Amino acid sequence: MSFPKILVILPAYNECRNVGQTVRELKSLDFFFEILVIDDGSKDTTAQEASAAGAAVISLPFNLGIGGAVQTGFLYALRHGYDIAVQVDGDGQHDAQYLKTILAPVLSGDADIVVGSRFVGPFLGWRSSPVRRVGIYFFAWLISGLTGFRVTDPTSGFRAFNAPVIKAFAENYPQDFPEPESIMSAKRLGFRLIEVPVQMRKRAHGHSSIRYFQTLYYMIKVTIAILLSMLKKEMKK
Amino acid sequence: MNVRFLSIFLAMVFFLIVIDLVCREKLTFKYAAGWLSVTVLGILLAVFDKFLSGFASHLGFELTSNFIFFIVSCGLIFLSLVLTIFLCQQNNRNDRMAQKIGLLENEIEDIKKQIPG
Repeated sequence: MSFPKILVILPAYNECRNVGQTVRELKSLDFFFEILVIDDGSKDTTAQEASAAGAAVISLPFNLGIGGAVQTGFLYALRHGYDIAVQVDGDGQHDAQYLKTILAPVLSGDADIVVGSRFVGPFLGWRSSPVRRVGIYFFAWLISGLTGFRVTDPTSGFRAFNAPVIKAFAENYPQDFPEPESIMSAKRLGFRLIEVPVQMRKRAHGHSSIRYFQTLYYMIKVTIAILLSMLKKEMKK
Repeated sequence: MNVRFLSIFLAMVFFLIVIDLVCREKLTFKYAAGWLSVTVLGILLAVFDKFLSGFASHLGFELTSNFIFFIVSCGLIFLSLVLTIFLCQQNNRNDRMAQKIGLLENEIEDIKKQIPG
C-alpha cells in the first residue's frame, strides 16, 4: 500500500491572527499531507491569510458553525479520495507536533477515530479553565458511561478519522455540539474510538466561541443533546 | 346572532385575502389550501353553531367559547411545531447548499489555476 492521502481540516472563523501561524507550523512537519482551511464565513482576512500560508481554502458564504465547517472538510476529503482526515482547530490551541501521535492509531488500523486528549497524562500543557474543566469531566463521565468508550476529553477538536468515518460524517455530522455528539454517532455507527495524550496551548489571540458565563447553560444544552442522541435510530455503516 | 354574522364575515374576508395572496403569487397553493379549509370550517361552524355547542357540552366544556379557545390554542401550538420542523428542514438545506457552494468555488479556483495564461 502506498502512503495514505492525508487531509488536515482546519475550521476557522475570524481567526486571521492565528490561522497563518497554524498552517505554517503544520507545513514545517516532516511528512506529507494537505491542509484545507474552511473559512466559516469569516468577516476578516482568514481566507487570505490561510491561502498566503499555503493552504487550500474553502470559503463558506456564511457562518455555519464548527459542525457545518468540519463537515465541509469531510465532503472535500470524500470527493478527493483522502484516506485519512485530521481535524485541527484554527485557533492555534492544537500543537502541530502531536499530529503524528493522533495519526498513528488510524494508520496502524487500531482505531477508526482518534481523539487527542489533554487529560491522559503526562500533564504539561494548557488544560482549560477550572470551570470548563468541571464541565469536561462531567461530559467525559456521561459519554463514557453511555458509549463504553474510555473518553476523558469529549470536547477536544483535535481528531483523526479514517475513510469509512469520513464517508459517514460527510453524509451526516452533528451540527449543534459536534465534538461530544459525534462520539455518540461513532458509537451508533459501530466505529472504534480511542484517545491519545496530547498537549494544547492557550489561544494566542482572541476569544473562544464559548464564553465563561455561558458555560452552565452550555452544559445543560449539551447534556440534553447527548441524551437525545441516545434515542436516535441505528444508522447503517 | 350578531356574533354569528361577524364570524362568517371575518372568515369570508380571510378567505378572500388568501385567494388574493395566491393570485399575487405571495402564497403557493400548497400552503393556501390549509388556510382555505380553515375559513370554510369557520363558516360551517358559525352556520351550524348548535352542533358546535352540543359537541362542546358533550366533551364537558361549560362554555362553548372555552371549547373554541381550547381547540384554537391546540391548533396554533401544533402549527408552531410544524413550522419549526419546516424551519429546521430549510436550515439544513441552506447549510448543505452553502457547503456545496464552498466546494464548487474551490474547484473552480483549482481549474482556473490549471488553465495557462
